[in-house]
Amino acid sequence: MIAARDGRVARVIRWLRQLHGMSVKELRQLFRDRVLSIWVVYIFSLNILLVGGAPSMELHQAALVVRDGDRTTASRELIHRFQPPYFILTGTVRDEREAQDLLDDGEAMVVLDVPENFAKTLYQGEAPASAQLLVDTSRSQTGYLAAAYAQRIATRYGGEWVDRNLARRGEDPARLPAIDNQRRVWFNPNLEESWFRTISELLTMMTVACLLLPAAALVREKERGTIEQLLVSPVSPLQVMLAKVTAMIFVMLAGTLIALFGVMRPVYGVPIEGSLTLLLVLTAVYTFTNAGLGLVIATFARNSAQSGMLAVLVVIPIVMLSGTWAPIESMPVWLRILMTLSPLRHFINIAYGILLRGEGLDLLWDSVLTMGVLGAVLFAISVRRFRSQFG
Amino acid sequence: MNLRRVFTVAQKESREILRDRIVLLLAFLLPPMLFLVDTYGSSRDVANVAFAVVDHDDTTLSRDYASHFIHSHYFRFKGSLPDLRDAERRLTDRKVQFVLVLPEGFQEKILSGRVAEIQTLLDGTFPTTTRTLQGYIEAINAAASGALQTDFLSRSLGIPREEAQILLQPIRLETRYLYNQELRNIWTVTPSLIMFTMLMAAPLLMALSVVREKESGAIYNIYSATITRGEFLAGKLLPNVGISFANAIGLWGLAVGWFGTPFKGSFAFFLLATFLYVACLSCMGLVISLIVPTQSSALMISLVLSVLIGVQFSGMITPVESMKGPNFVLAHAFPALYYDTILRGVFLKGVGLRVFWKEALFLAAYPAGLLWLSHRMFHKRTPQ
Repeated sequence: MIAARDGRVARVIRWLRQLHGMSVKELRQLFRDRVLSIWVVYIFSLNILLVGGAPSMELHQAALVVRDGDRTTASRELIHRFQPPYFILTGTVRDEREAQDLLDDGEAMVVLDVPENFAKTLYQGEAPASAQLLVDTSRSQTGYLAAAYAQRIATRYGGEWVDRNLARRGEDPARLPAIDNQRRVWFNPNLEESWFRTISELLTMMTVACLLLPAAALVREKERGTIEQLLVSPVSPLQVMLAKVTAMIFVMLAGTLIALFGVMRPVYGVPIEGSLTLLLVLTAVYTFTNAGLGLVIATFARNSAQSGMLAVLVVIPIVMLSGTWAPIESMPVWLRILMTLSPLRHFINIAYGILLRGEGLDLLWDSVLTMGVLGAVLFAISVRRFRSQFG
Repeated sequence: MNLRRVFTVAQKESREILRDRIVLLLAFLLPPMLFLVDTYGSSRDVANVAFAVVDHDDTTLSRDYASHFIHSHYFRFKGSLPDLRDAERRLTDRKVQFVLVLPEGFQEKILSGRVAEIQTLLDGTFPTTTRTLQGYIEAINAAASGALQTDFLSRSLGIPREEAQILLQPIRLETRYLYNQELRNIWTVTPSLIMFTMLMAAPLLMALSVVREKESGAIYNIYSATITRGEFLAGKLLPNVGISFANAIGLWGLAVGWFGTPFKGSFAFFLLATFLYVACLSCMGLVISLIVPTQSSALMISLVLSVLIGVQFSGMITPVESMKGPNFVLAHAFPALYYDTILRGVFLKGVGLRVFWKEALFLAAYPAGLLWLSHRMFHKRTPQ
């Protein structure tokens, strides 16, 4: 009895030792490729630093050109309200054709046209004094923002006239109803773009790396024939595959820690509201799932170029459509359903949930479960296909 | 340079691409797929935003105010909640993205001409979305608030609503959107994504084609043959540039035909700029292929470089005018920026060579410089 159990324990220990040996071999192989190891270090350090420091998408000094047809204090006053940081006055034009040319050339983004009699209409107060704004919306978002800020500036300037006009009619401008909207933003109170960007970038690069690297590692062995050597050794196909996953898990955990504590926290102040241990455990699960996907790809490829390309064809939709960069709500329903098959879709919930929202397993269990099941299925498929090819 | 030898290498290269099914996939399937996925994936349109209302006032005016949000097609109403605690839980559980809280006394304050303070709680996890969302909420609030003021003033002064409106809005800014009247995000995105897709696909295809021979050892045949370095490089470049050029034209078809982006400029100019750009990228791939030893590292380097240039230094995401310091300088050092500028102009604005001759010159200078560099880097002698 005891001997049998001891034998089993010994077997397990031997199995684990073999797995350990194989994993160390995988790591050595990865870091022997100088280009690849530089890349791995880069994606978790400098890359995150660069992405977080990129300027935000807010409007920044949109080039403004004016045509002042009125030339009065009122018109000049309005024009001078357009100031940095949102706008910067770059010149004046005489007519609309000149303005159109500047817009075409991209020299101007916004043209403000104050017509004759602007001040007169404003003083009389019988009709609204209008000014024209031409906005280059070839970039829809900045164009929209420029128009919105311009509107706000005009309204604020008009507000001073409102007060005057009302006082003249004996109405107290302070006694007007208004709705004051007070905003409170949760989970990222100052809307720090860098928090979102660095986390997104970390997840993206992690996805790319832990899909591409194991696939490349497996195919390289197929290509060079070293796989045959491994198969005649005491290690089993399961161990061969699992070693690639464990090596990857080690790299990803180290990378995540470097990114979090080397860049994201000290430089950008990204919080870790939830449990770090949970995050690391789930990062390991995610790596397992993704590496499984990578290994499945590798079983379909004959050489590393093929596996690399297949991996790119798979990884790009995953990265683009899982909700890291574009809001998932704005996608068509069929696409959203399809994306539940993407491991990243679930890991996004988990990573943002733990880092920013302080969530625990009680809220995240469904994402964790789906991700785990996906991983188990993918890994099982890869081992099966591998066995049928080499067993 | 012997053109026959160049042609022979080009022929061999084309045959290799056609023979390897997966390389063929990469050559012709990757660009359109990337383009489609990126276009769908970079939609910044905010839609279907789930929200809830906590109406402590529950009067005609407060319900009326909430209905402006309920009927907006940007939002999806998830129901009224009895108290704030409930609302906060929905926000934490990701059931809603924002909550509108109307306090008690809302109607009373409005009717007596005071300021009613309301509150919106927003989920800030994805700040870009949140910012756009805030913009929409602000616009709805401003419109509702303005209407209430107009009503109030016309009642208290006994004047018609139109007159009250002029009193309240003495200055009117008439905004005209040029080039993209309906502010369609897709029109903005598709021209840039032609730039970005080619930036990912073209150098990759080229880099792999040389490294493949390095890895398999077939390059030794070249080393020992009479063919010169220039002939070999030219022969390698020709089919790759050709494929990428055809792909870029295909993407143009997708942008115009599938996504309905208007093309107002000269097609000939588009072809010229695209040819120069694709040549740039292929030469970039060539330089990469001369540095790296294996196909997988060629793949990595090429993709990382493409994504870095495309995302940070092309003006696709951040306009070049708002870049600062080193980013501004670096952006001007890469060809992507010039091609992006040209594409925006030629698609939406209909301007061509007259405005963009400088950009076109830059694009033409790149392939020349990179060719020279790769000619210097490529040796027919085995590295020691």
